[in-house]
Amino acid sequence: MTAVERNWKPTPTDGVSSPTSTLQASTEEILKARYLSVTLNAASSNSPPSTPFEPTLHKNSHIQYLLRNLRQGFPARYISQAASQPWLIFWTLQGFCVLGVGLDGQTKKQAVDTLLAMQHPEGGFCGGPGQAAHLLPTYAAVSALAIVGQPGEGGGWDKINREKMYDFFMSLKQPDGSFLVAHHAEVDVRGMYCLLAVATLLNILTPELVAGTSEFIATCQTYEGGFCNASFPGWAQHHSSTSPIDPSIPRPPLGEAHGGYTFCGTASWAFLQPYIKTSYRGSGNVKPEVNLKALLRWTVQMQGSSIELGGFKGRTNKLVDGCYSWWVGGCAGVVEGLIGEGVGKSEDKAHATDVPTEPDGEWDDVDDALFNRRGLQEYVLYAGQHHAGGLIDKPPKPSDSYHTLYCLAGLSAAQHRVQPSSSRRETLSAAWTAHAEAEFDGLRKEAFISALSWVEEEGASLYVGGEKNRLNATHPLFNLTVTHSEGIMAHFYRQTIPSRFTKKST
Amino acid sequence: MSHVESNDPADQTLLYCEKPEWQDVTPIPQYDGVNPIAPIFYTPEYKDATEYFRAVVEKDEISERVLQLTLDIIQMNPAHYSAWQYRYRTIIALKRPLEAELTLMDVLAIQFLKTYQVWHHRRLVLTALYESSTSDSASSPSSNAAGAAAAAKELAFITRALETDTKNYHTWSYRQWLLAFFDDEALWEGELPYVERLLEADVRNNSAWHHRFFVVFGRVRAKGEVDLEEVLKRELSYTKDQIAFAPNNPSAWNYLRGILERNKKPYSDLQTFVEPYTVPASSSTDEGIVDLDNPRPGPGAQLPCVAALEFLADIHEKAGGEQTKQAIEIWKSLANEHDTMRKKYWEFRVKEASA
Ligand SMILES: [Zn+2]
Repeated sequence: MTAVERNWKPTPTDGVSSPTSTLQASTEEILKARYLSVTLNAASSNSPPSTPFEPTLHKNSHIQYLLRNLRQGFPARYISQAASQPWLIFWTLQGFCVLGVGLDGQTKKQAVDTLLAMQHPEGGFCGGPGQAAHLLPTYAAVSALAIVGQPGEGGGWDKINREKMYDFFMSLKQPDGSFLVAHHAEVDVRGMYCLLAVATLLNILTPELVAGTSEFIATCQTYEGGFCNASFPGWAQHHSSTSPIDPSIPRPPLGEAHGGYTFCGTASWAFLQPYIKTSYRGSGNVKPEVNLKALLRWTVQMQGSSIELGGFKGRTNKLVDGCYSWWVGGCAGVVEGLIGEGVGKSEDKAHATDVPTEPDGEWDDVDDALFNRRGLQEYVLYAGQHHAGGLIDKPPKPSDSYHTLYCLAGLSAAQHRVQPSSSRRETLSAAWTAHAEAEFDGLRKEAFISALSWVEEEGASLYVGGEKNRLNATHPLFNLTVTHSEGIMAHFYRQTIPSRFTKKST
Repeated sequence: MSHVESNDPADQTLLYCEKPEWQDVTPIPQYDGVNPIAPIFYTPEYKDATEYFRAVVEKDEISERVLQLTLDIIQMNPAHYSAWQYRYRTIIALKRPLEAELTLMDVLAIQFLKTYQVWHHRRLVLTALYESSTSDSASSPSSNAAGAAAAAKELAFITRALETDTKNYHTWSYRQWLLAFFDDEALWEGELPYVERLLEADVRNNSAWHHRFFVVFGRVRAKGEVDLEEVLKRELSYTKDQIAFAPNNPSAWNYLRGILERNKKPYSDLQTFVEPYTVPASSSTDEGIVDLDNPRPGPGAQLPCVAALEFLADIHEKAGGEQTKQAIEIWKSLANEHDTMRKKYWEFRVKEASA
């Protein structure tokens, strides 16, 4: 077995030590040691000499971990998650989906019943039975229902109270276009993402619901290019008593650019495109803008160096962490999709032979992602796995449900390319069935098509460690498989979706 | 039942179902007729308290005893947003002293620094405190003396909290909200020196850099109140000094880019400053020349610095024409040598510029 050459250059400190650099250096030591111990163990065990070492995703032990959580439940230290119960269920179920594990009917039924017990009588879902409705568990519950539910009796989908859900959403709306995450709670970009994802899945988007929301999202982009948790509306509101918000008065970002908020801000921006497309045309309103170039720059800057094993950080000068594999690594694909659409790319990426390929040629084709897919996969495979199953922030942390899903989803995002496809868009558009009584048909048709035109590019996958490490692709906006996204949307938009798989012509 | 909520362990030895004063309430179990998937195994204390909480919510009971119940739940699970929400409603409805609530929450905030709810609760209470002390809605928060005093006290509390965790996201976000909401000159005054102290302790603290941007550029000022050119000059000078001190610090470079963009100044204004950071250390020493506007890399500088190369390439790209080639050369060196993790991104920049 040959050791793979790796650059172990530490992050330069310029001879100036500070708390940040000290913590950074000790983390780099930990990551390097982990990498060497994984490769060394492999060398001493079985692999024949001269075979380059390839890391393994220990799928079976992760499946066992998820199964234990699902069947046996969670120990008392998870009391801190007792107001996030739909999340525990979503993380576990979506973990199975990414790992390619199907669920039996009894488990699905039990999950549907549990989730419905958390629906609030006045709309939305709660963190647990008898708690208050909240946007975050609402996203988790609806997404989990997209996985385990179905139409009809006992299927759960028709038990989602969409009218009350809409009323709940509207009751949280603020004059600056943002939303509280719950009554008496904070305004936060995560809540906006959850609301927009759910409104898109359930077909309850209206211009009234999202008026001003794009402007709010745009004000959450910081000078670094990423998004923060919220902006301050006060000055814009103070100075104008007649109109709700004065666009000429600044609403400064509160908090620095951050991986979680950047994913939520970016995906929200993508969800708002149908509204922006259909509502600003000829309205005289100034279209809000997000600086996509700065956003892309920030996103790729978050990828750690070789000694950090290519993992992602959540903020400038902070440490790499497995969950940002999804929040930032996954976000990079969304940004790329937005940039591609912005420049009016009309053809699918199947051409472009004019750029020279790399000497080793194996994966460096021009359609490749703008972040380092190999690097990210290596981080998850070397540093993100716990020997007892489940995935983690970084060694020596214990595994948990949250990091298990977001490490896996990030790994999947680095394996597959799921991007907006113009040909898929055309197919969906041609197959669209207008319903006579449907409201806001223009907006909703665009929302439907826009979300579901994200499909996997064929021949663009890359599996570090080989095909045995393959995970299922996940939709970059919803973090559901494309199949589950299509299933629930077909139901609520009353559409028949043409197959994504082209029949082989003989 | 005592009027003051207690953390007294003697009080907590009894479960709610054992407390005589709660005998009128029938606890509500979490799941009724559902065998839940992926359940959490609660401690007896948590199960007991939350069953009573559900009953209280069901009855919509607003009472003193609810304050102790919510406090107990919050101490076991500070992320229980419904308990916080209910506590807030109760405090307002019972007209409880708001200062006392803030003081009671001081310990919890430090203990549960990373929880959203502890910070949001403070914000709600502080806002209510301010609103209760003014009936004149036309006045701005800063013109209200009680509000301003509470805000000053709160700012000091936030400073203590940040000593425990200098990068805590919620704490910083809350600090910025406080400054903007009360918008009191006395509050803003100390912020720049505060940021400088933090950056002296850790020049790589990105939260402190972001706070600097917020303090310098986030505040709405009347026309002519500040001399923007002077401010920009000061900020450029400060940032260049920090870069010279520790060049490989992305926080400082991002700040530099940020202030230029914000003030619509071209990056090329800084070409003279940046160039020494783009070449290996040995070739960048011109002994004896001291240019205060363009501080040179410090003695330990590890050069060339990736952020400086990127900055110089941006200058070349913007200039266009022949200089595009120079930009491309730099991006290629980043892709193949200095920043190989971002190879694809630098190649993308080459492609974009060549198109
Ligand atoms: Zn994490």
